[in-house]
Amino acid sequence: MSVLDRKLLRDIRALRGQVVTIALLIGAGVAVLVMSVSSFLSLRGAQQAFYAESHFAEAYAEVERAPRTLLARIAEIPGVALAEGRVTGEARVDWPGAEVPVAGRVLSLPVGGEQPALNRLRLLAGRLPEPTRHDEAVIHAAFAEARGVRPGDEIAVILNGRRERFRITGIAHSPEFVFTSRPGNPLPDDRGFVVLWANEDAVARAFDMQGAFDQVVLTLAPGASEPAVIAELDRLLLPWGGRGAYGRRDQPSHRFLEDELAEQRTLAVTVPLVFFGIAAFLLNVVLGRMVEAQREQVAALKALGYPSFPIALHYAKFVAMICLLGSALGVAAGAWMGAGMLGNYRPFFRFPELPYLLPAWLPLLAAAASFAVALLGVLAALRRILRLPAAEGLRPARPAAFGGRVLGGVGRRLGARAKIPLRGLLGRPLRTLLTVLGIALAVPMVVLGLFWWDAMDSMVELQFDRIERGDAFVALTDPRPSRAVREMARLPGVLAAEGQRIVPVRLRAAQRSRLLALTGLPEGAALRVPRDVDLRPVPIPRHGIALSRRLAERLGVREGDTVQVEVLEGARRVHDLPVAALVEDIIGFTALMEIGALNRLMREDDLVSHVALRVDPLAAEALWQRLAERPRVAATNVKAVWLRVFDEVIAGLVLTSAVTLTGFGVIIAVGVVYNSARVALQERGWEMASLRVLGFTRREVSRILLAELALAVLVAVPLGLVLAQWFVGLILGARDNESFDVPAVISTATFATAALVVLGAALASALVVRRRIDRLDLIAALKARD
Amino acid sequence: MLRRMPNTTATDAAPQAGGSGNTDAPAVFVARGLCKSYGSGDATVHALRDLDLDILQGEFVVLLGPSGSGKSTLLNILGGLDAPTSGRAAWRDHELTGADEAALTAYRRDHVGFVFQFYNLIPSLTARENVELVAEIARDPMRPEEALALVGLSHRLDHFPGQLSGGEQQRVAVARAIVKRPDALLCDEPTGALDVETGKLVLSAIARANRDVGATTVVITHNAAIAGMADRVLRMGGGRIVAIEPNARRLAPEELVW
Repeated sequence: MSVLDRKLLRDIRALRGQVVTIALLIGAGVAVLVMSVSSFLSLRGAQQAFYAESHFAEAYAEVERAPRTLLARIAEIPGVALAEGRVTGEARVDWPGAEVPVAGRVLSLPVGGEQPALNRLRLLAGRLPEPTRHDEAVIHAAFAEARGVRPGDEIAVILNGRRERFRITGIAHSPEFVFTSRPGNPLPDDRGFVVLWANEDAVARAFDMQGAFDQVVLTLAPGASEPAVIAELDRLLLPWGGRGAYGRRDQPSHRFLEDELAEQRTLAVTVPLVFFGIAAFLLNVVLGRMVEAQREQVAALKALGYPSFPIALHYAKFVAMICLLGSALGVAAGAWMGAGMLGNYRPFFRFPELPYLLPAWLPLLAAAASFAVALLGVLAALRRILRLPAAEGLRPARPAAFGGRVLGGVGRRLGARAKIPLRGLLGRPLRTLLTVLGIALAVPMVVLGLFWWDAMDSMVELQFDRIERGDAFVALTDPRPSRAVREMARLPGVLAAEGQRIVPVRLRAAQRSRLLALTGLPEGAALRVPRDVDLRPVPIPRHGIALSRRLAERLGVREGDTVQVEVLEGARRVHDLPVAALVEDIIGFTALMEIGALNRLMREDDLVSHVALRVDPLAAEALWQRLAERPRVAATNVKAVWLRVFDEVIAGLVLTSAVTLTGFGVIIAVGVVYNSARVALQERGWEMASLRVLGFTRREVSRILLAELALAVLVAVPLGLVLAQWFVGLILGARDNESFDVPAVISTATFATAALVVLGAALASALVVRRRIDRLDLIAALKARD
Repeated sequence: MLRRMPNTTATDAAPQAGGSGNTDAPAVFVARGLCKSYGSGDATVHALRDLDLDILQGEFVVLLGPSGSGKSTLLNILGGLDAPTSGRAAWRDHELTGADEAALTAYRRDHVGFVFQFYNLIPSLTARENVELVAEIARDPMRPEEALALVGLSHRLDHFPGQLSGGEQQRVAVARAIVKRPDALLCDEPTGALDVETGKLVLSAIARANRDVGATTVVITHNAAIAGMADRVLRMGGGRIVAIEPNARRLAPEELVW
């Protein structure tokens, strides 16, 4: 081992506090990179494997009722590889002891007891129904797990108002239900939503669809144009009540999964970038100062005749050792966090297998990235030192030229002791700026961890306190005259009832189009109150359409512009409507009209399809049961249940990220403050020891040395709070998630917590350094400086 | 706190190296049987061996000796920076040996002025502020400007150390040491880093402080020429005082030749 290498090991041991804190910083960056990339790859890998294995369809079309003979013509559409028709329907499950009605969906399996050609099931247990049995069904794994259903169990289902019993023959995963939730609900509710597959005969009989289908799924031939196929499909299905064909992109499970993958990809790129950026910057501050503190050693080596290259290599090795340690910690933490993250995904995304993938190149990439970043951080300091003529380096660094009037008139009133930290800060503005920025950057990390609680609270408040003011939302099996609302209002426990009409539409503006549900609301509706960006109620426009701001942005329209509305139900007319108002929403995309205007648009009578209810909490449970028994009720969504699920699902996720990011914030704050204090002590220990000799107490000397950092921290924390707001905006802006919007809301408590965490970390670091100040060697101060 | 010495006043102590110039003055520094060793076993270095010493109030003492003779160790013990391995050292009626860190800090703060070989000024403070820094913690300081006038630096008040020559920096250090009107002024090689002429300016400043402030002054040097300005010269060697040379007449620094 060369002498320089021995020096390297001893330096590392001597500077272990600094080495460890910097390694932790690098480790945090590596951990985020490894975590987000590996969980993205794992999720993507599971998705691709399952989609390929199960022949996941690429296009879908719903239709009221089309004859099976039409399928042959669909298969002949140029570009269609394979088409399959099926019968689907809403189901209500009579689950004993369920606090609220369980909603569900039933799908037909092909005649002959075969797997479907597309969207094949992966059976976890049991088998498909016997081809001749009408009373057998396969159940989706999510509900089966949540409710403990096993093959052989019986389940009572209300289909089209009729009660049927099914014996469960198997438990399965399906590519179209990787993410399952009640329609319009962005979170899984495994206990409250079920998917069943039964033989076509059974399902067709239940929904009076013998010899017909109401959904077609298809795959495309290589090179086929999806829009062309969809347009042709729409044309073919139009006479049969087609509700608009759509590509895989709009398949609900797929879209939610893609949204999450996109978000994960954003996270995998932006957050490590931000983190490595901070780390590079801190390394510049900390390692730069550390290397700078060794200028005399470098000069001595040069004076002894060492060429620059081995010296540079020596410091590069020093950086490499720190990076190696940091990367090892980071990869281990990242893999652990990635596996944990995947665990968090399991309740959301139901894959037959969701193995954690950590490709070998990822740790190598992370380590290489960290080394590049670290080297970048010390490059400037190294170059400065290597350019230093040996003779100059051997002399103690000349005291910085402090401008006499730096402090101006204020200075004259301050004591000499107060001037030391002030001149230290103002005399080296660039270094001060870097230190302040470094500490400031710790604050956004903590805020990024904690603000999700605020965002979720605000999300819930906006959506469920301000906009949706009812306690339950009832979907009817088909549109009914509005007297249905009055009937429902008379049920015991119902305090108020308001009808809504929801119809599927396709909105078009220029080249952009979107399938969504258009909601008709009565004027002055009290159970659903659209609000503007300032949360003021927006009156439902009598003419034209109100769109959510997020939807308008995606369609590229503004208030006053015209959108084309193609109604995909009933007479399916196309209208041009002015955008009369913009409203806020959080979940999905809102499009609103006055209910009368909507019904007129459809040339239909006064019809409602959904009813919003305000319910007496004491009578609620009985009411849910009563609603479950009503044949015309397809599903009842209860707000309280939704909120409970939301809390359960989100709380774990948010807690994980809060703990992680708060940890990172602490690592940054400690990294900057501890290292700054150590370097300050290294640079000025001699001065401080001199003061101790002159009769200053330990406390006084510590104050003088640490006051500079304390001032930096006091400036940094408010700056960090401002940065935090900006970072949150940046990261939310980079989100591209259509399923739900996260408002950039940060509470005072979050800001205060972040500030306190950083202050606490700074204080703790300062105390550790203070112990070293207490042990200063006073006698050395009398002798030569080193 | 410093413990008061029972029964023992400096004057009763039998002086082995008693004062000569001003024999009426009481002894302020008293050392008896002072030993200091570093390390253990074969590697033990004996810096001081059974040293006895009295230094009288207001006296100007030069400690002369080669490197390793123990003069710095002695100064460190007298200055409350180091503790002897055995023996006693006292400042007036305050025991220095065995005193705790806080008591020694208070002792240095209230009684001692230090001048270092390498000036040890705070680079971010001007000459005036460096002196003011110590004045701020002293009980009855003179005005910083006054202290700087005593060392002949009234015209350099607002200069930073980086803007001053070595001799000027050392004179600022002397002003900083005397601003508190110390009872003792301890100087460790104050001219070690300076040329002859500059060195003389610094020594004049120290001599003036000794005269005007009345501070008992101990100067460490290996430069025998400085010995001429002392009341007494203590020659050290091998951790002991090997010779005591009183000067009949103290030379002014300008008269020194080296």
